[in-house]
Amino acid sequence: MRKCYLGIDIGSISTKGVVIDSDNNIICKSYLYTKGDPINAVKNLIRELKKGITSDDVIKGIGTTGSARKLIGLMVGASIVKNEITAHAIGTLSFHPNVRTILEIGGQDSKIILLNDGIITDYSMNTLCAAGTGAFLSSQAKRLEVDIEEFGNMALKSKSPVKIAARCTVFAESDLIHKAGLGYAKDDIVAGLCKSIVLNYLNNVGKGKKIKPPIVFQGGVSKNKGVVKYFKEVLNEDIIVDDFGHLMGAIGIAILSKNYETDKVYNLDFNEVSFITKGEECSRCSNNCEILKIYKDNNMIDAWGSKCGRY
Amino acid sequence: MKIGIPRSLYFYYYGDLWLKVFKKLNIEVKVSPKTNKEIMDLGINKSNDEMCLSLKNYIGHVCYLKDCDYILVPRIDNFKTCNQTCTNFLATYDIINNLVDNKIINYNIDLNKGEDELKGFYKIGNILKIKKKQMKKAYLESIKELKEERLISIKDNLKKLDSDKLKILIVGHPYNTYDELIGKPIIDYLNDNGIQVIYSNLFDSEEANQASRELSKDLYFKYNKENIGSIILSQDKIDGIIFISSFPCGPDSLVNELVIRKIDLPYLNIIIDDQSSDTGLITRLESFIDILEAKNGKSSISPCR
Repeated sequence: MRKCYLGIDIGSISTKGVVIDSDNNIICKSYLYTKGDPINAVKNLIRELKKGITSDDVIKGIGTTGSARKLIGLMVGASIVKNEITAHAIGTLSFHPNVRTILEIGGQDSKIILLNDGIITDYSMNTLCAAGTGAFLSSQAKRLEVDIEEFGNMALKSKSPVKIAARCTVFAESDLIHKAGLGYAKDDIVAGLCKSIVLNYLNNVGKGKKIKPPIVFQGGVSKNKGVVKYFKEVLNEDIIVDDFGHLMGAIGIAILSKNYETDKVYNLDFNEVSFITKGEECSRCSNNCEILKIYKDNNMIDAWGSKCGRY
Repeated sequence: MKIGIPRSLYFYYYGDLWLKVFKKLNIEVKVSPKTNKEIMDLGINKSNDEMCLSLKNYIGHVCYLKDCDYILVPRIDNFKTCNQTCTNFLATYDIINNLVDNKIINYNIDLNKGEDELKGFYKIGNILKIKKKQMKKAYLESIKELKEERLISIKDNLKKLDSDKLKILIVGHPYNTYDELIGKPIIDYLNDNGIQVIYSNLFDSEEANQASRELSKDLYFKYNKENIGSIILSQDKIDGIIFISSFPCGPDSLVNELVIRKIDLPYLNIIIDDQSSDTGLITRLESFIDILEAKNGKSSISPCR
């Protein structure tokens, strides 16, 4: 018998899962797009992960993190549900015990985590707007009809990236259109976009933070070689990008689930279970809270969203 | 005759005073209820897009009181040089006057021009046909009672600084901190998670105002000076700071930068607009508490290997 722990990180764009053993070795991993439907994404994810484990493996803990962590935590009966900042830090620390700075740019969120001696000391997250996140890059890629996977390579070819307003997505977009209209090469525009992501991040999320090496860069955008290059250039430090950087949240939450281990053994048969949600507006008072009710096999097992605590 | 008092903005500075004075004078008042979504939506629909969430909320409360004979809307301008309020506070009376059909009771606080609180109440008396002598008595009695009550609140607040729990100073304007929809979800979450909450507005105003000079001698917003003064006065005893502002508050955006640069304590800035989902909020609060717990060795979260 081998003890295993499952970590699931459900983000706005992608859903990530890993199974680790008690020494934090990755047994199997999976990555797929959330497509706005976290429940089915996780069902598919678990189906994939099950192919990687044997009958000798027993799941002793499940952790969920990411923006849909609460919903999915309920669905799989997770032993721990934690925010992605803590999960990312714990995951990263298990590979880079000395890490001082984690840069993370995801689909909707971007954040910076500062650590010292293996303890998170400070962090910051983007505020209201999604400027400078993956969502912005992929919408611009679509506009330029460039495959997002090709974006980084194109940026690397550029010798002189164009300057693009970094402060606001809307300005950046009109700047980009004007530069394209003026006749700048596509490579240079793509490189300019990658650089604007870096500058925006440092001005916005990294504002006032002391960025010290070793620096680890994670999140979907860390796969973009152009962005990595400009981080190196602007910070004048080496930037570590792991192949499995996108899995750090899932790894972190799997590690954390070990702290909550009990006698319980989890099975992973979620395909047969009908799990649906219904949203409705409560009309009991003038707050008109949006209530989300969660049904498992037609029984309501939980509901949330009320201000009064009724649900 | 009924006077409407919106439970927003000024209410959190002057509400107790107004209620006491009107009670002593036997004048009927109606205070709008705690903010709910209906009130907030009412305000958002009537506001223009550049107003801050708090002012939109205030307008909602005013609209809710449309059945009152009068609505009390003061104009709080300044408490002498270098103690300004924000421009919204200057403009509110004119905005409201143009927005609703109710009669408005207005008075100015403009100490630069010698218009103080007592003169303001005489003006109210003038409108409501109350004799000066009677008004003065009600006002002075109320002020005296409130002074004692406030001393007790401040003492209670400062006592919390000696708590064994993790202590977070909530820095923000009371009309945000104590509002049912803006600040309360944050305070509730902290209380539910075993945090000792300390409030920036429950420090001695004069002392906090002086202390703020340690951070900046140029700042001229009275309420923001008191906010950051509370940080100086408590920084050795608190574990972290949560700064609550409403989008897009001008003075707060300045002061936020100031604190980030000059104060070396875990710090979280939460900017509230009319988001209807609290997922983002909970993520930020939860991870902030994780950090404080880890720093203080109170954490159950460790990278066990």
